[in-house]
This record gives sequence, structure tokens and C-alpha cells, in this order.
Amino acid sequence: MNFLYSYLVLAEIYALTSLSTNLLVGIVGIFSVSQAAVFGVGAYIVAALTMGDLADFVPALLVAALACIALNVLVALPSLRVAGDYFVVTSFGIQLLATAVFTNWTDATGGANGLPGIPPPVIFGQPVSSTRDFLLLASAALALGCLCFWLLMRAPFGRLLRAIREDELAVAAAGKRVLRAKVGAAAVAGAFAGVGGGLYAAFLSFIDPSPFDLDASVLLVTMVVVGGARTLAGSIVGPFLLLGLPQALNFLAIPTTVAGAARQFLYGALLVAFMLFRPQGLVGQRL
Amino acid sequence: MTGYLEVTGLSRRFGGLQALNSCSFAIAPGRITCLVGPNGAGKTTIFNVVTGFLRPDAGSVSFRGRRLDGQRPQAIVAAGIARSFQNLRLFQDLTALDNLLLAMPRQFGEAPLGALFRPLHTQRGLAVRRATAVRLLDEVGLAARAGDAVRNLSYGEQKLLCIGRVLATGAELLLLDEPASGLSAGALGAVIDLLHRLQGEGKTLLVVEHNTRVVQQIADEVLFLHQGRLLAQGTPERITGDPQLAEIYFGGVLGG
Amino acid sequence: MVLLQLLCNGIVTGCALGMVALSFSLIYATTRIFHVAHAGIYSLGGYLVWSLATRGVPLPLAVPLGVAACAAAGALIQNQLYRRLERRRATHLVVLIASLGLLAMIQNLLAAIYKPDVLQFSETWGNGVVSVKGIILTRTQLLTVVAGVAVYGLVMAFAHRTTLGRRVRAVASNAFLAEITRLEPSAVYVQVVAIASAIVALPGVLVGLDLGLQPYNGITILLTATIAMIAGGVGSMSGAFVLSIAIAVLQNLSLLVMPGEWSIGVTFFIFVVFMLVRPRGLFAR
Repeated sequence: MNFLYSYLVLAEIYALTSLSTNLLVGIVGIFSVSQAAVFGVGAYIVAALTMGDLADFVPALLVAALACIALNVLVALPSLRVAGDYFVVTSFGIQLLATAVFTNWTDATGGANGLPGIPPPVIFGQPVSSTRDFLLLASAALALGCLCFWLLMRAPFGRLLRAIREDELAVAAAGKRVLRAKVGAAAVAGAFAGVGGGLYAAFLSFIDPSPFDLDASVLLVTMVVVGGARTLAGSIVGPFLLLGLPQALNFLAIPTTVAGAARQFLYGALLVAFMLFRPQGLVGQRL
Repeated sequence: MTGYLEVTGLSRRFGGLQALNSCSFAIAPGRITCLVGPNGAGKTTIFNVVTGFLRPDAGSVSFRGRRLDGQRPQAIVAAGIARSFQNLRLFQDLTALDNLLLAMPRQFGEAPLGALFRPLHTQRGLAVRRATAVRLLDEVGLAARAGDAVRNLSYGEQKLLCIGRVLATGAELLLLDEPASGLSAGALGAVIDLLHRLQGEGKTLLVVEHNTRVVQQIADEVLFLHQGRLLAQGTPERITGDPQLAEIYFGGVLGG
Repeated sequence: MVLLQLLCNGIVTGCALGMVALSFSLIYATTRIFHVAHAGIYSLGGYLVWSLATRGVPLPLAVPLGVAACAAAGALIQNQLYRRLERRRATHLVVLIASLGLLAMIQNLLAAIYKPDVLQFSETWGNGVVSVKGIILTRTQLLTVVAGVAVYGLVMAFAHRTTLGRRVRAVASNAFLAEITRLEPSAVYVQVVAIASAIVALPGVLVGLDLGLQPYNGITILLTATIAMIAGGVGSMSGAFVLSIAIAVLQNLSLLVMPGEWSIGVTFFIFVVFMLVRPRGLFAR
């Protein structure tokens, strides 16, 4: 039963994090392969603060969210100001740079060996120690994230983003500030990924650079593509499905030495297949 | 005649093509002015420069006494000038109402903080704006199509919506790029009536138009552009009746 | 002297990078597609030649075979994937995601077949060292410089002297016009991607000979190459090549002050500077 709870918790954490990719790639139409890096920044910040007894879980989460918002805004501002494929290069660069930092800044991140012994979250004085309790926490966080996503899409902000995806020139001609809206979206995306990262760190109690690399960003994109872009349902279906995939693959008796590569190959194949044959994903809207 | 919209010595080159060649003219308020000329005369380029989408190589644009050249499109809309596009550029996935709502100025909830932390205030503001947008749709004759996605509107209805979107910005000077092209007789009449109504409400219109009959029906004044500069200026009768201009105009269309 | 050695190493790396940048630039300037999977072709070239070499095929034969195979792979990608997407009026974003997926497929297929550790070529001629005034370079490294300059020269000649090259330039400057004047962009696209894929196999092999083969390092090299392309000015072949060498030299010189793992930081820093100060690049057309 614990195994099921584990799967559910991770699926919910990734669902929350994938909201960031859904917002940027799905809603605004920006190609982003750096959200796993932001996810990682959130994880390392919460780990550092809670391990060093500098903050409780929820304040640490807040700090992580703010830091990730700042990171995304800092990256988005100069690169979105210049049109074209600049952001593609920037996004790859940030992701690769982040992995280099996570792996080499050993003092802060533990390097390739990672950070073990991250304490479980303490909320209102109660430690969240069992997987079942963590499921409650993750569900609450995901519900809050979905509420925020829904509120944003209902507001003029959401409409502005949808229009920008279609024709940003026409949006500018209508007197609206395109760059400001895009940077706003990047900020919100940062918050989603940062909070997801913090939850991830507290749940697994150990993190190393590997879940925050380019492959992980590709996984996030695959979750949004398969689940379906621009809808909340897509952000839930995608992670739940794709996190269950490795279990299904186990039945295929793939040797463990190539299991990782086989998984990533599958994600790539899913991306190509969906872009060719079902760009709206399972329950989303056309990319 | 001076002081409302003044374009002075505008020049703009694209590679080997001199699109605007020291072009100068002035528009009076409250009138419908038509910009005519053969293809490539620079009409859309004028629009692009005035609305901030293109920087001129030389020259200036001023509106109500203030210099506008070099400013960004959003600032120019805020100053009171808005444009439509020849190829519409409506938001296909949004409804007719949403297309208008998007263009309305100073809405609460366009930034994420406001939308997240004051959702009720945002929705209240939206409700007020929605009422205004419905009135605007009614004014352009599209009240019945408010909830329809733009991809489901007819071409004529989309052309009307374009004008609606320009109106929604609250601009007083409307730059319309071929608002009547490609329309059937009935739809054409609707557009012409709308333009007259807008003039009656105090709007100033600068309209690019190829159809001479339409020009004759709506224009108070006609500006004839050729090879990037103002060639002639006058009443519709005088300009459309001039044989030399006709030769340039039709020669440009058929020959070029 | 250390400085001169680093400079020469930079020129060697720069020539390899330059070939990647030139080939990517050919594709990007013509098809406007940000062909991320190009990094996969780069790796594929190296591994294919390694496979042939370990089965006894001599390198002078294995390399052309590998290059031809990559050309075929590139043509297949353009024809089966990108052209289909274009026919469905896919957005730029959709094509990017498809290319990303393809990259993941190629890299991980290589990793599954060849294992993710570094793989070395067994031939030894390339390791022979040449020493000039105290600067040490292997024969492979010298070959890389020769190949880089040769490719640069060939690409420039191709673009300006051949019919296909002129068509490429015409299509690059105006695809719409090219379409309506019967220049058949889709046929041009396939040929361009094939040629570019053939070119990028060369640095894949040469770097593999020099440093060993890895399935996942293609994207870092491609990223650096695209930065060189952008900094040099999109559409300028010379800009792409020159900036490749410049960036590689700067990266190597930075080793004097910081450890090698941070070299990507140097590249990125250069990119940020260009983005802020001169986004159109140095020699933009």
C-alpha cells in the first residue's frame, strides 16, 4: 500500500511542477527545457534551509518559491525581449548550467553525491513522517496549485497569454504589453516548479543532481504533451500516466543497465508521435 | 489644419526599396480621410510608422502636438491612436467578445499578482468591462455573435470585429487598413454605415482603401500616395476624377 | 608556453565547433527550423564510424561511409518528420518539440547500444604527436583543423558558386518568393539537411578520435555552436566559423582562471553579453 501512496505522492508533485511547463509551453507557447533546473533549485533551497535548521518547511518553501520566481524572471527578461529562437538557446543553456552548478558546487549541493538526510516537513509543529500523511500534504499543495492556475486563466491575464500565443503583434497593436505578460508567466511558472522541488526534497529526504537535468526537463515536456497542453486535466493525466510507465516497462524485462536510456528513448518517441499525430495530447488543446 | 496628426518628412527604406520618400501630410480631427495609391505606394508603411511598429529613417510624427515617432506601439495606443490590419489578425481561438475585451485599456487582473490575490475584484471588473464590450459589439452589429469563436464568424463579420477591436482600445484616431475589401454589397453597406456612425460620435478616421466607390462614399478628404510621398490631396471628386492620377493608380495595379 | 598551447587547443576545438556551427547554420538559415536533433546526428556519425572501425574497416573507408549514412539520416528526418509537420501547418513550437523528442531518441538509442561510458577508438595513428616550437598537437587535432578550414572553404564555394548553393541562398532569403517562383523549397530543404548532416558527422568522428565518444555530449557542443552562429550573425557562414574559433579559444584561455567544468559558464556568459549588447550578431545579413 505504501508503494501506491509513494507513486501518488510523486505523481502529484510532478503534476504541480508540470503546471510550470504547461504554462510556459502550452499557454504562452514558449519552448522551455529548463523547468527541471528550477525544480532543482527549489529542492536544494528547501533542503539547505531545513537541514541547517534555518527554517521550518513552509517558510522554506516560500523562500524557494521566491528564489525560483526571481530566477525565471532574470532569465526571461533579457531573452524574451529579443525575438526568435533566443529563448531556446537560453533555456538549454540555463538547464546545462544548472546541472553543472548542482554537480560542481559541492559545498552547497553536495556535488554528485547529493544531500542525504533532509528532514521531513514540520507543519504546525507536527512532523509529516508517513507516506500517507505526505499524500495529504501533496494533495493540498496540488489543489492549491490548480486553484491558482484556474484563477489566472479566468482573469484578463489568462486571456492575454492565450492571445500572445496566437499573435503577439496583434496584442501589441491592441495596446497591451507583451513582454510584461510573458515575464509574469515565467514568474508564476517559477513558483510552481520551485514549490514542487521543495516538496520533492522533503519527500525523498535525499536529492542529487540527476532528477534535475535535461532529461528531467524533457520528461516534464513529455508529461504536458501526452497529458495535453493548456488544461488542468492534462497536467494531471500526464504525470500520473508517465510515472506509471516505468512500472509497466518492468514487465518487458529490459536489463537495468539500459532501463534509464530505454525510458528516455520512450519519452522522445512519445514526443515525436504526439507532435505528428495528436498535438492536443490526451485531454488537452492543440499545441 | 495643423496640430492633430502631422507626418513630416518621413522616409523609410527596405533594402533596395525606398518605401517612404520624405512623406508629409496632416490630418484634421473629426474627418474621414482616405489614403489611396497604387500597390507599393507606402500606405501600410505609413500605418506601421505612425503606430510604432516601424522606426522611420528620417522624419517625425506628431499627434496633438506631441512627438510620437520612436515610441512603442503600446504607448501610441495609450496616446489615442489604434489600427486595424489588412489581414485581420484576429485571435481565432478567442470569442468575439474576448477579442474586444482584450483590447480594453487599464483592466485589473492583467498581471498575475492581482489575478491571484484579488480574484473577486478581478471578476467584478471583468463583469463591468463585459457589459461595455457587449455594447461595442452591438454598435458594430455583432451583438448576436458575442460568444462565438472568431473562426466561426463569416469574413464580413470578422471585418466588423476588427473595427470593434480598434474601438475597444478607446482610441480617438482610428487607422483602418482596407476595412471594406473583399466584402459583398450588403456587408459593404454595413461597414460604410458604421464608419459614418463613428465619425458622428467624434472619432477621426484615416482609412486605406482601394475601392473608389467606397472612397467616394466615406471620404471627406483623399490623400494620394505614390512612390512613398504625397502626390495629391483634395476632395474625393477631384482626386478620383483626375485622369493623370487614374493612370498612375491603374497603371500601378495592372502593370507593376 | 602555456598560453600558446591553450590558444592552439582552442583553435583545434574551434574548428570542430565551426563545422557544427556551419552545418547547423545551413539548416537554420534555409529551413528556419531549430534542428536540435542535429546534435544526435553528430554523435551518430562518431559511433557509426567506430562500429565500422572495430569490425576491421579501415578509417579512410569507414569515415565516408559514416558521413553518407548521416546524410541519409538527415534527409530522412527532413522528409519524414519536418515535411510532414509543415504540411499539417505545425507551429514552430511543435517542430521544436518534435526535434527535441528525436534528439532524445537518437541519444538514448546510442546509449543503450554502446553504453553511456566514454568509448575510445583503437586506432593509434591519430595519437601520434607533432611538436612545433614546444606546442604539442596530435595528428588527429591537426586533421581537425585541416578539415575545419576545408569544410569552411567548401561551404563558401558551395553557397556562391553552385546552382544548389544559389538556390539555397535564394530560399534562405525568401522562402515564400522561392515557392511561387518554382524553386521547390521542399526539395532544396532535403538536400540542405542531407549535406549539413554529412558535414556534422566529421567533427563527430574527429572529436571521438581525439577525446573518445559519449552519447550525451552532443547537445552541449550544439549549444555552443548555436551561440557562435547567433553571435556571428544568423546567415553569415563566416561569422559562424570565426566566432566558433573565438569562443573555443576563450573557453580554453579561461582554463587559466577556472576549472574545466565551468567552461559552459564561459560560453553562456558570452551569449548573455551578445544578447544584451548586440543581438543581431556581428556580421548579420
